[in-house]
Amino acid sequence: MDIIFSVIREDTFWKILLFLHFLMAVSLLAAVTLQAASVLTSARQTTGNFIDRFSPVPAASYATVIILLYVPQALLGAFIYLKYRLYVRIPMEQLRHWWTLGAFEFKEHIIAMGIGLLPAYWYLWRQPISDEDAGVRRWLTVFLAVTIWYAFGAGHVANDFRGIGS
Amino acid sequence: MTRTLGVGEELSALDSSRVIGTSKSAARTRTFTFAFGIAFTLLYTIYERLNWPLFTWQPAVGKMYFWLHRPLSGEGPPMYWYGWIALAIPSALVVSCVATIIPSRSLYRATIFCCALAALWPASLAALRIYITDWATFDADFLNSVWVATIPALVGTAAITYFISSRFAERVWTSWLLIVPIGGLVVLGNSLLIYFVR
Repeated sequence: MDIIFSVIREDTFWKILLFLHFLMAVSLLAAVTLQAASVLTSARQTTGNFIDRFSPVPAASYATVIILLYVPQALLGAFIYLKYRLYVRIPMEQLRHWWTLGAFEFKEHIIAMGIGLLPAYWYLWRQPISDEDAGVRRWLTVFLAVTIWYAFGAGHVANDFRGIGS
Repeated sequence: MTRTLGVGEELSALDSSRVIGTSKSAARTRTFTFAFGIAFTLLYTIYERLNWPLFTWQPAVGKMYFWLHRPLSGEGPPMYWYGWIALAIPSALVVSCVATIIPSRSLYRATIFCCALAALWPASLAALRIYITDWATFDADFLNSVWVATIPALVGTAAITYFISSRFAERVWTSWLLIVPIGGLVVLGNSLLIYFVR
């Protein structure tokens, strides 16, 4: 770390990481939202009006991207969490921002649950896709989308408290 | 002609054995990944509630301690989250490996047993605590114990596991992949209520 800090300032380093975390979150959010929308609308695509026939990219093609983004994103978040624990959470407690703190604590748990479900998610979306697990595949995808949306929201609020541009 | 037929039969036998092998390996992968998802989410919830981290990280001083470490003066706040995940991953891996070895019927029943026990154990402890404070007419403090709560929890779990049909256990097995994490999040979220009611 000392080598890095001899090149750039410490706060700049953490801001770059936080920005990278944000960029990856946006990409992940886009992929998981499109996939969730796809699995929720796939049953209605053959008939109906324009919206019903709206056909996004096949849902299976997102799965690899989501896994490849989720794992490094979780690892990067876990690394930034070190800084959060000392330089964000303590002032949060002192200024009594309990809702922000509680929401962020819940984010830790929801992300951990997502990590645990990733192998099953990978299996459910690997080719050839089985019809046997269609229901669990659909709801697991939606669950993962909810975890990512929640994590994004809670992270954004914590960033507003003390982060980039706050 | 006979020779050609013989080779054809051998090839088709080889193909079918390959198909069986592939489907067996796919079934094993399915069992492994699903069992991992169920076990990880269940164990993570349990480890968080019991506060059993594999290690504790002290970010202010950059020190790592094995298992649970209460911070000494000047060490700053401890971080347990990494430790819960670090313990849940190998535990869930062991459970998933075992899941691929045991017969499917036993796996489905074992899953019901573990999930029911995880729900009934804290529920019976909570019920005992309510009984002690609101109902008991004698000094029932000895009942306020995790180990006393084990007895009704085990009895209830054994009854549930015994009475549930094998077909039902098989049918709901994949649903545990959603029930356990959602249930875990309800439990963990409930433990965070203190932040939202201040």
